[in-house]
Amino acid sequence: METNSIASRTQILVVDDNPDNAHIIRDYLEARGYPIAVAYDGEEAMALFEKVQPLVVLLDVMMPGKDGWQVCRDMKLHPTLGKKIRVIMVTALDDWMNKRQALQTGADDYVEKPFELAKLAATVERNIAMLKVPA
Amino acid sequence: MDSRNFARDSLTHLPTVAATIDSVRKDIQARGELVVLYFNFDRYAKIEDIYGWEKLDALLETTAAAMRAFVKESNLTLSQLMVANPHDDDFVLFHIPEKDVSAASEADITELTIRLQERITRDVESEHGESIAALAETYVGRSHVYYNPKIRLERQIYRAMREAAAASKSLEAREIAIKLSDLRDTLRARSIYIDYHPIISADTGKVFGYEALARGIMKSMRSPEVMFDIASQSDLIWDLSRLCRAKAVEGMKDHLSEGQLLFMNVDPHDFTDPAFTEAELAVPDPSRVVIEITERTAIKDYPKFRERLQAFRDMGYRFAVDDAGSGYAGLGSIANLEPDFIKLDISLINCIDANFIKQNLVETMVKFANDQGAQVIAEGVERGEEFEVVKQLGVHLIQGFFLHKPGTHGFVPIHPRGGEPKQTVTHLSR
Repeated sequence: METNSIASRTQILVVDDNPDNAHIIRDYLEARGYPIAVAYDGEEAMALFEKVQPLVVLLDVMMPGKDGWQVCRDMKLHPTLGKKIRVIMVTALDDWMNKRQALQTGADDYVEKPFELAKLAATVERNIAMLKVPA
Repeated sequence: MDSRNFARDSLTHLPTVAATIDSVRKDIQARGELVVLYFNFDRYAKIEDIYGWEKLDALLETTAAAMRAFVKESNLTLSQLMVANPHDDDFVLFHIPEKDVSAASEADITELTIRLQERITRDVESEHGESIAALAETYVGRSHVYYNPKIRLERQIYRAMREAAAASKSLEAREIAIKLSDLRDTLRARSIYIDYHPIISADTGKVFGYEALARGIMKSMRSPEVMFDIASQSDLIWDLSRLCRAKAVEGMKDHLSEGQLLFMNVDPHDFTDPAFTEAELAVPDPSRVVIEITERTAIKDYPKFRERLQAFRDMGYRFAVDDAGSGYAGLGSIANLEPDFIKLDISLINCIDANFIKQNLVETMVKFANDQGAQVIAEGVERGEEFEVVKQLGVHLIQGFFLHKPGTHGFVPIHPRGGEPKQTVTHLSR
């Protein structure tokens, strides 16, 4: 199936300091054919980012140390990979100002926390569509 | 982020000053001199404020590409282009005279600087349009280093950079003084004209109204942002606003068809101008005038401000909140003004097709407006993809270069949905 072939070439990086959350997302998206890498804090996320070169990053905001906003900014400013990625923030962006601030970091999309897995998958899919991955 | 990323700017891929010094050390020692040119782009911060960081990033990429191409085409093989600081907006050129040139003369450097500035302006204008180009003013400061083997080269270079940066600032100050003089001439001779920029209905594609954009006839006053910036620095804002309002209303009968509305920008500070009254505007039918108030200016005396708004409203004038969602005021503050129209901040429209957070914000604003009985206007729509998305999100009215390009005879439709505007530009003689 064409979507599966696109999925299998779309590396996703999941970043969440809560292993339970990270693993739920990993298992669900892996079952849909995506190769997944998982990082549990901001520093590890940056190291894995350069190593696996994901096209989509699912990024938790509240993490100890470097938070999700800072990680998003660093990824988007990366000299070679920054322009190729889509960053989806996993957070409750509940008001106008929070969303404005999210735009300043370069974030492309968000899924509300606590998330529904089906909605998360749909969000990933609409961002993959923006990547224009060749079929 | 690791330290390697501070050796090169991620956006322009230009090296930083610190990363460049080693590569030019031998040439400076051999030639015995170096000219440091410091490029200070005065209003780039303003561009980011108005259009958002994506637009500024694109502009910086254009600027860097133009400078890079110029250095290459001019065969400046020993010269090096770089950024002053990573992720900032100033550029630096180390100019080392070629081997067949005896020394860098002041006249040569001036000529080189002018040609480079012209190249940047040309490329910025062709890629980003006249409005952006008018804001992208460059001030180039210079400093000449004659190599002294007793002083460490790094220190000589950093000192020269500080001098060149200071020189660019003093050029900027001199330019502001010239512009202030131009503004006084403009006010005395009433030498501004109005561009009537069409706003179309998303449903019908017909012209719903026009936004009056004041521009000076003098080249230095062409950008309204520059003109108003100079006026606010020199306490001439009321005088300029009065002239712009008068000209916008004067042109209504020639430029607007029956039923079309005039959208006119009014700064909240204008409401404290004793001359700005319901009668001053002298509009035969006030219900055809929409007063746009920007969200960007803080309103100090809210009750008084609302009282003044009400007086205009009682006469039939309508109101729009301009730059809505720019982050200066929340939705509650917008609701307090009870606007008839909500004009979305341009930065929300730029690349909205690729950003789902922007789409969510605009959708929220449309719902909010529908609840309030107001209409939402998307301005700054430059691409077909942006047009399609704002239409799908339920925006009521649309404005932007995708629909109409400014031409010598006014704004001409370039898209079938762009409606049929009347001749819309008047150049008024002094």
